[in-house]
Amino acid sequence: MNILGFDTSTAATSVCVLRSDGEAFAVDPEPARLFEPPAHSRELMPAVAAAIDRAAIGWGELEAVAVGVGPGTFTGLRIGVATARAIAHARGIPLHPVSSLAALAAGIGESPALPLIDAKRGELFGAVYSGDVELTPAFVAHPDQIPARAGERASGALAAGDGAVRFRSVLEAAGIRTAPGDSEVHVVRALNVCRLTHSVPAESPEAVLPNYLREPDAVPSQ
Amino acid sequence: MILAVETSCDDTCAAVVTDDGEIRSNVIASQGLLHARYGGVVPEIASRRHLELIDAVIDDALERAGTGMDAIDRVAVTRGPGLIGALLVGVSVAKALAAVRRLPLVPVDHLHGHVVASTLGDKPIEPPFLCLVASGGHTFVASVEDAGSYEVLGQTLDDAAGEAFDKGARLLGLPYPGGPEMDRLAKQGDAAAFDFPRSLPGDGLDFSFSGLKTALLYRVRDLGEEEAGRRRADLAASYQRAIVDSLLTRARQAIEREGARRFAIGGGVAANSELRERITATCAELCVELWVPDRSLCTDNAAMIAAASRFTPALDYPEYLSLDASARVA
Ligand SMILES: [Zn+2]
Repeated sequence: MNILGFDTSTAATSVCVLRSDGEAFAVDPEPARLFEPPAHSRELMPAVAAAIDRAAIGWGELEAVAVGVGPGTFTGLRIGVATARAIAHARGIPLHPVSSLAALAAGIGESPALPLIDAKRGELFGAVYSGDVELTPAFVAHPDQIPARAGERASGALAAGDGAVRFRSVLEAAGIRTAPGDSEVHVVRALNVCRLTHSVPAESPEAVLPNYLREPDAVPSQ
Repeated sequence: MILAVETSCDDTCAAVVTDDGEIRSNVIASQGLLHARYGGVVPEIASRRHLELIDAVIDDALERAGTGMDAIDRVAVTRGPGLIGALLVGVSVAKALAAVRRLPLVPVDHLHGHVVASTLGDKPIEPPFLCLVASGGHTFVASVEDAGSYEVLGQTLDDAAGEAFDKGARLLGLPYPGGPEMDRLAKQGDAAAFDFPRSLPGDGLDFSFSGLKTALLYRVRDLGEEEAGRRRADLAASYQRAIVDSLLTRARQAIEREGARRFAIGGGVAANSELRERITATCAELCVELWVPDRSLCTDNAAMIAAASRFTPALDYPEYLSLDASARVA
């Protein structure tokens, strides 16, 4: 099955076509891209077109779409989800909503894995995984609350992600190991978004929405 | 046939329009009530709602047009100005829909859409013409020499006319969005009961509405809560009269200064009944032909985006893949 996958939950944009013969054609950002201003709208579709071209398949030969639904940057998630839905809908192919934390965890390569995505305002989105299995569901917390929120099952876990890099010193002070700063494991890789379609059932495209994990800031006036 | 998408503020819109301006469908999913309890549009809530609605709204537009994506040969989308997070939902969907079918994509200036809304339908306006656009976000008079562009002759220096309606309505305790409520209440009041300022700044054609709401605030305070409540219809009528007077004065000055023969109105405030009545009388008096679009073409809608796309250069695949939305200028 030719799968198109992408993730826009962090400032970086990651795209991959996993061709039916198992070969992957990834457009992955450098880890440094995680700490530059996001440009998903400018980056996503050109990367999608590039991955499809490099895989030497046509748009018409895509058989499934997988998208990282967060948690992560709200605007980025909406660009990713809107794009994925439109492609799946227009082609009449299945859409798999994949947790961006699960995809990040899949790249960490250790178990347990503690994927941490920057939630802004001094907070982190996190979860604990052992392989594909979610041990602690996604949460949002301050860095110094991570050990408590991640729980005992996170003991000995390796943390990675833009949030892990940003709050490395706080995390390490709390006894959490983090991957080296320039490591590629901090990037949510679209290849892992593609691979996770095995464990995430497809949903009807219009029903797929980001996992914001946080309410919008809005105060009723009356 | 054109499929157009518009998500610049709080209405999720899609439309199907033919190349010669026949509207096959014009679907508007309004979020008004969703934002009512906040007294204004909350950008993050609007963006989330757009994403929830957009696919269904596009399907609905295609279905009501009695067609499908196969018949569409061009996609148009509002690129700006507007709320960036809201715009990006429409831009992302439009780019993907166009790319999958390798259709051309037309990025449209939202304000251009308002200006050329009257080029749609059976009796399209033809340049040269002048246009008054008044909405919750914008108020300006523009000159259109050819339909592909417009020149702003004057604009508001502070609040937009629609903003003045909404803020005034709030001071009178009317529910959001206040424009239509104020219009309804004003019909029962005496427009001469209170004297509100008509601010016409400078020698040109600019507008200013921020002083008006302050005047209303003071008047309501001076009257006291009970009396202000009792005379709410008079306050609404007088306040609305002041807004419409300012708009009409500038419209008349623009027509006379430019020697215009054709005039159009657009934007959400163009749905106001007093403005519609009085601009009709003014244009009749000046022997100027007037275009007043249907209300569904005045408030934000995608048909007007399709209208503007007919006069805007299209981008071919893959040029538009890196297209970004723009909060300010399109
Ligand atoms: Zn508008």
